[in-house]
Amino acid sequence: MLELAGVHGGYGGADAVRGIDLAVAAGEAVALLGPNGAGKSTLLAALSGVLRRRGGRALMDGADLMRMPSHRIVAHGLAQVPEGRRVFAPLTVEDNLRLGTIRLAGASRGAAAERFDAVYALFPRLAERRAQRAGTLSGGEQQMLAIGRALMSRPRVLLLDEPFLGLAPRVVEEIRRALEALRANGLTMLLVEQKLDIALGFASRAYVLVKGRIALAETTAALARRGDLASLYFDLAAGAG
Amino acid sequence: MRDFLELAVSATASGCVYALVALAYLVMTRPTGIINFAVGEWAAVAAFGGFLTLTHAEWPYAAGIAAVTAAMFAVGWATERLTVRPLVERGAPVLAPILALLGMLVVFRELISVGFGPDPRPLPQAFGFGRLEIGLVAGSYQSFFTIGVVLGLFALTWWFFERTLAGRAFEAVAIDRRAAALMGIDLSRVTALSFAGGAAIAGVAGLLVAPNTSAHYMMGLPLAVQGFTALVIGGVGRVEGALVGGLILAFAEQLTVRYAPVPPGLAMGVPLVLLILFLLVRPTGLLAAREARA
Repeated sequence: MLELAGVHGGYGGADAVRGIDLAVAAGEAVALLGPNGAGKSTLLAALSGVLRRRGGRALMDGADLMRMPSHRIVAHGLAQVPEGRRVFAPLTVEDNLRLGTIRLAGASRGAAAERFDAVYALFPRLAERRAQRAGTLSGGEQQMLAIGRALMSRPRVLLLDEPFLGLAPRVVEEIRRALEALRANGLTMLLVEQKLDIALGFASRAYVLVKGRIALAETTAALARRGDLASLYFDLAAGAG
Repeated sequence: MRDFLELAVSATASGCVYALVALAYLVMTRPTGIINFAVGEWAAVAAFGGFLTLTHAEWPYAAGIAAVTAAMFAVGWATERLTVRPLVERGAPVLAPILALLGMLVVFRELISVGFGPDPRPLPQAFGFGRLEIGLVAGSYQSFFTIGVVLGLFALTWWFFERTLAGRAFEAVAIDRRAAALMGIDLSRVTALSFAGGAAIAGVAGLLVAPNTSAHYMMGLPLAVQGFTALVIGGVGRVEGALVGGLILAFAEQLTVRYAPVPPGLAMGVPLVLLILFLLVRPTGLLAAREARA
C-alpha cells in the first residue's frame, strides 16, 4: 500500500530524516517508534508534503507521493492527524469536519453527508457538539475531532502523530477502540508513538527510528519481549554512532 | 441638523470607500500575513481603466465597471504570481513579499504616469449629477450609489467567508497554515485568490471615488493610508471591522474639517493621528478576531 525507499527530508539545514525504507501493507497498522528528535514527525510531514523533501520515493498505489503537492496527496487518499491535534479552534466542530471534505472525490452533497454520518457514528460525542467551537472541546474530544476531520476525505492511508499524547487513560481506550474499528474496516495506518504499550496489540509491526534512520524493524510482539524501550533506544543510538 | 445630516451622508460615502480599501488589505492579510500597500495604486489603475472604458470608449456604465473589475482580478492574480509566489516558494520571510509589493507600488504609479501624464482624467458619475432627498437626509446620487455598492460588497464578502466551504478554507489558512495544508487546502491557490480578490475590491474603491476626485496618478497613496488606518481601527480579524473602521475614520475627518478650528489642509493628518492613537492604545483594533486557541 505504502512503500518508502530512501526518503530524505527536513526543515532548514541538515536532513532530519536520512534515507528511510519502510513498507506498510494494505489494511495493516504499523507503529513508528523512537526517541524524541528521531525524525518520526518529520517523516510524516514529508509523506504529507508539508516540508521540503530532498529525495527518495514514497509509492502509494503506484504513484509517488514525494512528487505531489500536499493537496494532491490528500486527494490521492492519504490523510494525516497532526501532532498536537491542531483543530481550527475558532471554528465549529461541523466546520472543522466540513473542511476535511475539501478534497473528497466527487464532492457532491451526498458524499459529504455520508462522511459526516460515518464520523459521527465513530465518535457520537462530536455529533452532540457539532455546533460548538472546537477550542471549547476537551483534549480528548479535540483528538476525536482531529481524527474525524482527517477521515472526512475518505483516506485509504491514515498517518497518526501521537494521537494519545496527554490524554486520560479512559479517553486513550476510547480512541484506541475507534482506531481498531477503522483497522477492522480495512484502513491502513501508520502511527507515531512514544510509548510501546499503547501501540502494542494495536499495531502488528513497528519500526524504530533513531537519528533519522531505521534502526530496527520487528513485530510489536517481539519488540515487547525486549523489555525496556528506553535502554533499547540508547543501545541503538550507540550502535548508530 | 440638515447640515449635519448632509455631512453624515457624505462621510458615510467616503467611509465606505475607506472601508473597501481596508477590506482589500484584509482579504490578503488574513490568509497570508502580507500587508500589501499597493492597494492604493490598484485603485488608481482601476480608476484609469474606468477613464478608458467609460469616458474614452463611452461604454455603458455597468459594462465598463464589470470589465475593469474583472481586469483587476487578473492584475491581482498576476501580481501574486510574479512577485509574491517566487519569494514564498524560496522560503523568504514575510517581510520580503511586503517589500517587493512596495516596489510594485512604484511600478504601477510610474506606469500610470508614463501612460497618462500628470493631468487628472474625468470619470462619469454612475447616475449623473444630482441630489437625492429622503426627508432630511440628502446627498448626491454618487454618494448613495457608493454606499449601496459597498454595503453589497461587504455582504457578499461576509457570505463568502462565513457560508461557503472555500471561504472557510481561507479562514482555516488564517488560523493554522499547516493544518490547512494537511486538510488538502491548496495554500498557493488561496494566496493567489486572495490577491485577485483584493485587487478587484481595491479596483471598485478606485472606480467609486474617481468620479469625485478624477483619476490621477497620485491618487493611490492617500487611499492606501486611509484604508490602512481603517483596517487598524477595525482590526484585521473580521470583515465587519473594516466597515466600522472606515466609517469612524471618515466621520472623524469630516467633523474635524467642518467643526474644528483647524485649516482644511490639516484634515489630511486626521488618519495619521488616529492611526498612531490606535496603534498605541488598541493595536488589535475594535473588533478582535474570534481567536479561541486552546
